[in-house]
Amino acid sequence: MEASWPSADSVPVRRQGASGVELDDNIAVYDDVGQLMILLNSSAGAVWNLCDGATTVDSMVKALSETYPGEAAVIGDDVRQTLRKLAEIGLVTEGPAAP
Amino acid sequence: MPVPEEHEWAHCTPNLKALSYRFAVCTDDVALGAHISELLSSLRDVDAESPAGGMVDADLDGAPGEPTPHRYALTAAPDRPGTVDVRRDGELVEPRLAPGVAVGWLVWDVNRLAAELSGEHLLFHSGGLEASGVGILVPAASGSGKSTLTAGLVRAGLGYLSDELVALELDAAGSGPGRLLPYPKPITVKPGSFGVLADMAPAVLEGEGDGEWLVPVGDGTGRRIAEPCEPGFVIVPRYDPSAETALVALSETEAFFTLALHAVNLLPHGPAGSEALGRLAAECACYGLTFSDLGSACALVLGLAGARV
Repeated sequence: MEASWPSADSVPVRRQGASGVELDDNIAVYDDVGQLMILLNSSAGAVWNLCDGATTVDSMVKALSETYPGEAAVIGDDVRQTLRKLAEIGLVTEGPAAP
Repeated sequence: MPVPEEHEWAHCTPNLKALSYRFAVCTDDVALGAHISELLSSLRDVDAESPAGGMVDADLDGAPGEPTPHRYALTAAPDRPGTVDVRRDGELVEPRLAPGVAVGWLVWDVNRLAAELSGEHLLFHSGGLEASGVGILVPAASGSGKSTLTAGLVRAGLGYLSDELVALELDAAGSGPGRLLPYPKPITVKPGSFGVLADMAPAVLEGEGDGEWLVPVGDGTGRRIAEPCEPGFVIVPRYDPSAETALVALSETEAFFTLALHAVNLLPHGPAGSEALGRLAAECACYGLTFSDLGSACALVLGLAGARV
């Protein structure tokens, strides 16, 4: 993954074999390939749920800004930072290019 | 020296079942065989045609369609009087054990193989109980008071699933967390709990259970075995002699990770296993129970279960 990833038109996708279980406001993500279970807080979980291989980063930021209008100024950075962390531990990757 | 196939045993247990592990035990020692049969009678495999106990030539075929049970053979060790050689499926696995030690080893080995060979279920290192048809999981590490609490609640009248290994059926339809299945092994009571469970003291052979009690359950013991049941509660015990006995509600997240920590075989089940954990955490009432007094702890759990069922 390039250091500049993700760009506005990146399309992150959850790794096959990784699944999330919603708990309270959190999401427990279980990855049976990497044998990893981690807990995502609500904001990281919201990003995780949008990693469907069809939603661009730009669209993620717009969707989350509408959901959390009071935090719109920082959501772009938060989304990119969350995606980089998820990519570092192998839970998301760049999806196929959008048609 | 191997035991001939046609050996005439003095005593054989009926076919027994520890979750998916089917087995029987034969011995040349009538008294030892009777003791083992009584101790393990709660594991009787009611689905299989069993050879009669007593003076039989063991025919250990399982029921039609069932795998042949494994067979333990306990025979007098020829080179050390007063001890027995233990064989599993003909292989000498433990030579020259004192009979009581052999019984303790047998229970340990059955437990180990039950965990190894019951992988179709999601297994928890946990006690398990049933109150009015509702299952209670008691997941905890060794030394947390899990078996003591389980024993106290069985003594109080709750149905017994296990004190060590509870199996959760994985519901293929995904409509619920599935049922908890009984594995009613003898309850292991450590010396530190002998005092509070003195009325459950079993008859033991010297050296049996490595200083621990193996308390029989089921018919004739006053300790009821539960039927498979839907889970309703998760109680996470922690014995602390300096603490007030108290129940504290756990969040879904806390319950989920506690269950994950005590799941024996989560990895092989992949997403289906973690989804089952999620359903358990969401659909059960989950509590942490810190206790210093067994009677108070049992009263809290009984009150909780009584309020729910």
